[in-house]
Amino acid sequence: MTGSEAQTTFTFGTDSMQAFAAFFLVGHQLTKLSSVDILILLLYFALVVFIGFYAKGKANTSEDFFLAGREMTAWIAGLSFVSANLGSLELMGWAGSAYQYGILAAHWYWIGAIPAMLFLGIVMMPFYYISKTHSVPGYLQLRFGEGARAVSAISFAFMTILMSGVNMYAMAVVMQTVLGWNITFSIWVGAGTVALYVMLGGLRSAIINEVLQFVLIWAGAAIVPILGLIEAGGWTKLKAQIAVNVGSSDYTHMWSTLGGFKDNPMGVHWTGIVFGLGFVISFGYWTTDFLVVQRVLSANNLRAAKMAPVIGSVFKMAVPFIVILPGLLALAVLKNPDGTLMHLVPASVAKVTGQHSYDDVLPLMLIRYCGPGLLGLGITALVAGFMSGMAGNVSAFSTVWTYDIYGAFLNKKASDKHYVAMGRWSTVIGMLVSIGTAYLVMNAASIMDYVQALFSFFIAPLFGTVVLGMLWKRATHWGGFTGLLAGTVASVGMFIWVHTNANALRYIAMSPDAKPMAENLYRALWSWLICMVVTVLVSLVTKPVPDEQLAGLVMGVTPIPDDGAKTIWQKPIFWAIVVIVIFFVLNLIFW
Amino acid sequence: MKEQEREVESAELSIWFFCGILMLAYGVVLVVTGIAEYNHPPANEVLLPWLESLHPTLWWGVLLTAFGGVYSVRFRPGR
Repeated sequence: MTGSEAQTTFTFGTDSMQAFAAFFLVGHQLTKLSSVDILILLLYFALVVFIGFYAKGKANTSEDFFLAGREMTAWIAGLSFVSANLGSLELMGWAGSAYQYGILAAHWYWIGAIPAMLFLGIVMMPFYYISKTHSVPGYLQLRFGEGARAVSAISFAFMTILMSGVNMYAMAVVMQTVLGWNITFSIWVGAGTVALYVMLGGLRSAIINEVLQFVLIWAGAAIVPILGLIEAGGWTKLKAQIAVNVGSSDYTHMWSTLGGFKDNPMGVHWTGIVFGLGFVISFGYWTTDFLVVQRVLSANNLRAAKMAPVIGSVFKMAVPFIVILPGLLALAVLKNPDGTLMHLVPASVAKVTGQHSYDDVLPLMLIRYCGPGLLGLGITALVAGFMSGMAGNVSAFSTVWTYDIYGAFLNKKASDKHYVAMGRWSTVIGMLVSIGTAYLVMNAASIMDYVQALFSFFIAPLFGTVVLGMLWKRATHWGGFTGLLAGTVASVGMFIWVHTNANALRYIAMSPDAKPMAENLYRALWSWLICMVVTVLVSLVTKPVPDEQLAGLVMGVTPIPDDGAKTIWQKPIFWAIVVIVIFFVLNLIFW
Repeated sequence: MKEQEREVESAELSIWFFCGILMLAYGVVLVVTGIAEYNHPPANEVLLPWLESLHPTLWWGVLLTAFGGVYSVRFRPGR
C-alpha cells in the first residue's frame, strides 16, 4: 500500500465520520465496555481471587510466603521474572515512546535488557543462589555488613511502596481516560484485590498471577500488531508510510542515526545507549532490583536459577512486537474522524488542547481493531498488568520489610510464624500507604516524576556495589558502604543540578545538543563510575576481609557447585549464547 | 527424594492449568461473540471494511480455545 492509497482507505463518508466520532468520543472517555467485555473482566478477577485462596494453603512458613518455597521451575521463575517488569505503565509508556521517538524505543527492550539478563543468569545468579540469601539487601549484609544492608533495605522499601502508589494512580487514570471509570473506584478495587491475593498466598500467589498476566498480555495485545501489519501491508510498506507521514526515515532505524545527538528523534548518542543504558542502567535494574531478582530466587535448583533469566530474556526480546510495533503502526495508520493523520501530543499539551497524548496510543490502537470481546480482553490485559505491577512491588516490599528491617533491626528473635504474620500485615499496610501515595500523586502530579527519578538514584550505584562485591574479593565493608553512599549522593546532586539549571545537561551528557532523555543515561553512568572509584579507593586503604568470610559470596574464593546439566541442551551457557546471537542479528536487521 | 517431592508439589500447583482454563474460557466467549457478530459486525469493523471480512474476534477466539483447551487438559488437576 502506498502513501496515497493508505490515505484513500481512510477517507470516510459523512455518516461514517459521525459514527467514527461517536465511537471514539463517548463523553470524555475513549470507549465503553459491552456486557461481553465486562464478563471477560469479571472472569479475570474471579480467577485471581481464587488463586489467592488456593495459594494460601501452601504459604505456611516464611520460606513459602516470601520465596514461594524455592520450588519454582526455570520456566515459571523465568516468565515471572520478565512479567514482574512488564507492567501496564511500561507497556503504554513505551508504546507512546515508540510513537514519539520511533524504533529507538526498542533499545530499552534489547540492549537495555538482554545482556544484563544473561549476565545475571550466568555470572551473578550462582552467588545469589548459593549464598541462600532471601533478598538483595540480605546479600549486601553478608558481603558488606549491616550498614550497606540498612541503606539498601530502607531505600528499597521506601521506593517500592511509592512506586506501587504511582502504578495504582496510573491505572486509575487509564481507566478513567479509556472507560470513564471513577478514579477512587479503580484505586480501591485494584488495591483491594492485589492486597487480598498477596496477603493470602505471598510470593507464590504473586508468581502464579504474573505468569497468568504474561499469557493474558499476549492474548490481549498481540492481535493489534497482527492486524496493524495487515492494514499497513507488511513491514516494508509500513516503513515507507512512516517516512511519508513524518517526513523522515529516522524513525525505523535503531543504530544508523545514533552518530550524533542531533541526528535522531530522541536526542541521544550511541555512547549513552551502549554505556549508560546498555551497561549501567540495564545491569543495575536487572541484576540488583530485588523486585525482579526475588522471582529468580524462588527457583528450585541452581540450574533453574541460571536458566530462568535466560528464558526470561527470550520473552523480553519478543515484547517490542506488542509494544513498539503498535506505536510505529500508529504513525502510519492512525487517523482522525475526517481522515487526516492523527497527531498525538505530550500529556501536558493534550490537557490544554483536548488532543490525545502519546500514552493513549495503545488504547487507541486497541479500540481501532477490537470489537466487543477482543476489547474486553485487551482492557483486561492492561488491568492485569497494573495489578501485577502492584503485586510485584508489594510482595518485594513485604519481604524486605520483614527480613531486612523488622527482622534485622526491630525484632531479631521472633518465631517463623510471627514473621509470616508480619509479612501478611506488612502487605496490607504497604498497600494502604500505596493508596495514600496514589491520592498524593492525584493532588500533585509532579510527585510522579520525582518518585520515578528517586528510583533511578539508587539503581546505578547499587549495581557498582554488588558487582564489585561479587567479582572483587578485595572490596571491603567500608569500601562498599562509602561507594554506595557516594554514588547515590552524586546521582541526587546531578538531578538537582539539571533541574535547577537547564544548562547543566550539556556538561553531564557532554554535548550542548543533548535532550532530557540523555540526562538519565549519563547520570547513571557517572554515578556508577563514582561508586566504583570510591569503593576501590576506600577498599585499598582499609583492611581486607579474610577469605574464609567471603566463601559463597565472591568469585575466586567460592567453588561454584555443579548445576547438574549433563547435555549441551541443559546448559544455561549454551542457551545464553543462542540468545545473544539472536540479539545481534535483530539489531543488524533493524540497524 | 526432596527434589521429587517438590516437583510433585509444583505439578499440583498447576500454574499452566490456570493459564489454560482462563484462555479456554476467553476463547469460548470470543467464539460465541464472533459467531453472533458474523453477519452483524461491530462499529469499528464497519468503519474498516478490510477488517470486517477477517472476523478477528471469531478466529482469535478459535486460537485461544485451542491453546486453552490443550493446556487445560495437559495440566489438569490430579493428572
